[in-house]
Amino acid sequence: MDTFVIKSLLQDVMRLTAQHIVLVCVSCGAAVIIGVGLGILSTRHRRVRKVSIAVASVLQTIPSLALFGFLLPVPLIGGIGQHTAIICLILYSLLPILRNTIVGITTVDYPVRDAAVAMGMTDYQLLRLVELPLAAPSILAGIRIALVTNIGTAVIAAVIGGGGLGVLIFRGVASLDTLEILAGAIPAAALALLADGGMNLLERRFQTR
Amino acid sequence: MDGRVILNRISFDLEHGETLVLLGRSGSGKTTALRLINRTLEPSSGSITVDGRNIAQLNPIELRRKTGYVIQEFGLLPHWTVEQNVALVPRLLGWPVEKRIARAHALLDQVGLDHKEIGQRKPYQLSGGQRQRVAVARALAAEPGLLLFDEPFGALDPVTRHEMQQQFLQLRSRYHVAAVFVTHDLLEALAVATRIAVLDCGKLELLTTPDKLFSATTPTAKAFLDTLPREAARRAGR
Ligand SMILES: Nc1ncnc2c1ncn2[C@@H]1O[C@H](COP(=O)(O)OP(=O)(O)OP(=O)(O)O)[C@@H](O)[C@H]1O
Ligand SMILES: [Mg+2]
Repeated sequence: MDTFVIKSLLQDVMRLTAQHIVLVCVSCGAAVIIGVGLGILSTRHRRVRKVSIAVASVLQTIPSLALFGFLLPVPLIGGIGQHTAIICLILYSLLPILRNTIVGITTVDYPVRDAAVAMGMTDYQLLRLVELPLAAPSILAGIRIALVTNIGTAVIAAVIGGGGLGVLIFRGVASLDTLEILAGAIPAAALALLADGGMNLLERRFQTR
Repeated sequence: MDGRVILNRISFDLEHGETLVLLGRSGSGKTTALRLINRTLEPSSGSITVDGRNIAQLNPIELRRKTGYVIQEFGLLPHWTVEQNVALVPRLLGWPVEKRIARAHALLDQVGLDHKEIGQRKPYQLSGGQRQRVAVARALAAEPGLLLFDEPFGALDPVTRHEMQQQFLQLRSRYHVAAVFVTHDLLEALAVATRIAVLDCGKLELLTTPDKLFSATTPTAKAFLDTLPREAARRAGR
């Protein structure tokens, strides 16, 4: 193998890793906003909770490859390209974030919530001063699951022209080129480990003891 | 609440400077009565008036901030320091930081806790009795005119408990506050009450003064008097 091939492969790895990170960050960011928001609403309105959990659970059971496929023909949000991949990844990340937000808020100790209300907190103050800080470890654990899973799932984005490290892996599989497969898989695994470690540190900062 | 009647036909008046003790067995509805007064529960019928105004017409948030409540299980916020916990209601009321921290320090000292030693600790780093006193300090922080004390000294040793009762009496005469004070402890009831309401299964069995309690003939009141050690009862003139 000559240096030119290696050099161009390295360039591909850099470019596609950057794409991969964008896919993951944008979709996770949006999933956090939607998931935490819906989670908070769910603890205030039982109907919202039922519907959102049901929808997110169904989305989670669809195999990721199929979900990408389903979105392709949908007008406006579908089609070939990065945006379809991002929407798909958002839908896929919703459940763990939503569920952990609800669990975190609803498992705040009863006397703690009771006292906060009895001292005269408004619902917003209860949320901001008590429920969210105490639910933070649980919410962060949900985000961590979503993030790490997302890094793996984003590989499939390549199938619908979403780019990312999947491009190398699929190309490698098609041409039976182990080096190329590894060039896609190793950075993806490294990203997942990095994300997991980073989230772990963040979670620890929010432990009450 | 699932259609059961928990409190029925309870009625009493409370003047400033008075302490009404709710005495009753476990499950008799004492906590429920306190919750009705700060509107963390709404009565299915009947009304409650504070300073001449029906509380159903008051803003519940403001009512609660003006009412000093020690809840039975303390309910300190586990992620806040002791100091922040005590300064909670002043914070909600928008007091400046220095003022509310100074207030928290003064109150911690008043309930017999050294603010320098424990002010920065989290609640899990305290003993049960210390936690309870933090909850008492928190209830007093914004100078409430009405106190709702739900077994506020239940976790204290007898000596500290006695000190806290004396503190309570001083506080009452100094600020002229009205208090509803829940306890199962007859001796404590006698020490702090201006009047005693005996509750039984959600009903007001007896409303009387500490002196007259000794001649009471109703079943729960008698049952409570029977718990006094015989010697104490003899001295009390039974
Ligand atoms: N949220 C609730 N839903 C239904 N029933 C309740 C609820 N809270 C209390 N009860 C019932 O109401 C009755 C009175 O309860 P309450 O807490 O007022 O008793 P208490 O006199 O404070 O007892 P204790 O001395 O054990 O604290 C009890 O039978 C209790 O089981
Ligand atoms: Mg009670």
